[in-house]
Amino acid sequence: MSAPVIPAAELAPSAQATPPAPSEPWWARWGDRLNPLVVKEVRQGLRTRVFWICFALMLLACLALSLVAYLDLRNSAVSQQGSSFFFAFFFCLAVVHFFIVPYSAYRSLAREREDETWVLLVLTGLGPRRILRGKVASYLVQGALYASAAGPFLLFSYYLNGIDLFTILLVLGLAAAWLVFVTMVAVCAATLADSRVGRAFVHFALLGGLGISLVTALTSAYGMIEHTGRWMGDTEFFIGVGICLWGMLSYGWLLFEASAARLALPTENYTLEPRRAVVLQSTLSLLVALCAWQLKDQSFHAASFTGVMGMVHLAGIGVILASDADGQARALRAATRPWSLYRPGAVRGFRLALVLEAGWTAVCFVMVQASVAAESTLAGFSRALVSMLFYSVLYLSVSLLLSRLVPQERFSRSASVRLVFFCVVALGGAVPPVLASLLDLSSDAPLFNVLNPFMGPVNFAESRYRDALPDSMLACVGLLAVLAAFCADRSLVQRERRVHAS
Amino acid sequence: MSLLEVRGLCRDYGTLRAVDDVSFRLEAGSILGFIGPNGAGKSTTLRILATLDVPTSGEVLLDGMSLVDAPDKARPLIGYMPDRYGTYDDVTVAEFLDFFARAYGLKGAQRTARVASVMEFTGLTPLAGRLTTALSKGMRQRVALGRTLLHDPRLLLLDEPADGLDPRARIELRELLRALADQGKAVIISSHILTELAEICDTCAIIEQGRLLTTGTVQDLLHPATDAAASVELSLRLAVERDAEAEWARAERLLLEQPRVMKVVRDGQALRVRVELAARASPTELDAACAVLLSTLVSAGLPVCAFSPRERNLEDAFMTVTKGRVA
Repeated sequence: MSAPVIPAAELAPSAQATPPAPSEPWWARWGDRLNPLVVKEVRQGLRTRVFWICFALMLLACLALSLVAYLDLRNSAVSQQGSSFFFAFFFCLAVVHFFIVPYSAYRSLAREREDETWVLLVLTGLGPRRILRGKVASYLVQGALYASAAGPFLLFSYYLNGIDLFTILLVLGLAAAWLVFVTMVAVCAATLADSRVGRAFVHFALLGGLGISLVTALTSAYGMIEHTGRWMGDTEFFIGVGICLWGMLSYGWLLFEASAARLALPTENYTLEPRRAVVLQSTLSLLVALCAWQLKDQSFHAASFTGVMGMVHLAGIGVILASDADGQARALRAATRPWSLYRPGAVRGFRLALVLEAGWTAVCFVMVQASVAAESTLAGFSRALVSMLFYSVLYLSVSLLLSRLVPQERFSRSASVRLVFFCVVALGGAVPPVLASLLDLSSDAPLFNVLNPFMGPVNFAESRYRDALPDSMLACVGLLAVLAAFCADRSLVQRERRVHAS
Repeated sequence: MSLLEVRGLCRDYGTLRAVDDVSFRLEAGSILGFIGPNGAGKSTTLRILATLDVPTSGEVLLDGMSLVDAPDKARPLIGYMPDRYGTYDDVTVAEFLDFFARAYGLKGAQRTARVASVMEFTGLTPLAGRLTTALSKGMRQRVALGRTLLHDPRLLLLDEPADGLDPRARIELRELLRALADQGKAVIISSHILTELAEICDTCAIIEQGRLLTTGTVQDLLHPATDAAASVELSLRLAVERDAEAEWARAERLLLEQPRVMKVVRDGQALRVRVELAARASPTELDAACAVLLSTLVSAGLPVCAFSPRERNLEDAFMTVTKGRVA
């Protein structure tokens, strides 16, 4: 076998930075700028049987439907069936867009991890974020190819009357956003499990989730088509659409960053982008909420809704941030300062969670105080808001202490910490009311539920429990939370030191 | 200065120490065989060297640069081929290599030239349009090697590259690796196919339970200089019927009467004779001892038709050094 020597100059690494020759055609230069995964996945995808079978079936179904529409039009002088046919065409596209495309995207990344081609990609220097972007983008390109086939039929339904162009464009626009979100979720789901059992579980959960996503998309589209033209002046509808779009965008972004972090090598600063995303999402959400509160004439409901939803969201995010691995790779330690909360390590994740929760509570507290409502309502909800912060900190700290104090390594893994958190919260929420009932007391008895993360804030807000739960009691809960947080922080610092010393 | 220097490398998984104080050096242009039973810590060590894992302690220097402190800078110098080839469905050989060349940041004509050059080197040019899944194991392995070479790494880490290959593919792989070493690349091959390693490698490192038991040139491992008495095993055949017990017994008796013969075992149509020599015996002394035995047998009228010392191979060295434990 011949084995000619590769010319060294031709293979010199420094040659990688050389810009393409100017004589190359524009499309070649443009092609070089594309994410390599998009090129590969689209090439690969267009060769699969799944793509061509789905494409052909969708096209055939649309053609058959348009023939039915044509016959219907011939038999009646004026057609009003546009909305029905639009929904039928949309159904054909939705099956592919909200089930086949996201599932194929999931399988593509899952196989990459199962076949261990993932490490080969990472070693090229592409990085997890670019790889995930490439995966999502390539399946969106495939989605666009399907849409290009179904698009003319969807627009054709406008000429069948019964549906206005704005409804058609709005449904298609929201469907496109939903496709991006669902594909992102599917790709991110492929990063979740490492074990075979875990992967099987995620697989079935995703299939169920995609089924629900399809039904949701069809139901929403049906509702919008049915009410075509009637919601034009409905501000609430557009606010709802805006909230949905913001939710899809921000949670899609968070999921993406979290998945990229899961796939990053331990030597990388894998927490930088997801933690930055959490901070930005919280800040932007708070700004949006502030604007909405101002627009709604400083409504108490807007302030209380922001306070409660934000704390629930941050409690969930907090446990994810604080359950990171202990310590960080040696390469990253040099640039780590005490305030470097974006760097890897459970201790910094925990501190960031505390900062975010405290910041959110502070802003919401001010919003509530400045809201227009009865004095007692404002005072009650302010106490509830502060108690929510205390409960969140307390339960997070206790979970960390419980899982990290056990010497066995498996109890301090991320999944264990999260499991312990949910178990502790569930116990804290369920045991006090049961105990109170057993002692022939009211299930929401204030002293029994003083550490209940669900009933506690409600009781603190209730004016009838003001005597049983005075401000000093709230301060006690706060003190307990601070003590627990301090112990958890010290425990995490010690664990990090031990990891770094080994 | 060595291209690669590994110092006190350790890797713990919980209470399990998968790699325990491994240290070695590797020069540019040389091939190191990393030998060990399954679970010995070979793949873990290679993954650390490939910057896919972080050591619990220890240092790895590649061309003077720390892989632990600056993995991003070191990565372009490393080509890693895992034990699974990692090819894709519905992608041709040329597309596969083109994809990885793009991923490595090669652009335009430079990329085309590089892919062509690597395909030429690995002998894949005639298969450029074939789907990678339609290739034989040997060819897929070449595709994987081609992918590893695209960015011109200085250090190649090959995890079980010869596993599952037919003899022809193994010989071709050996030639490719030799050519790469001649270009100045340092190569580390992890394998448990020891006969292959003996022919490919300049140096070998034997690892067991995460510990490096011995390192050295293949010759050093085959003929260790120990103070203990050296022994050699001879195989001899007699031109007599298998059931001519009297002749076989006479030969055995005669051999056992010789001063250096420790043991004689009948093995079908042959006798296996264990001869013990003085410590640090030279090959000439071995030859002389063999000649004495042969002439004794022939003088006694025994029809000797084959007489050969059994060469010590890497498997013998491996079995001598290791104890068959796993981490």
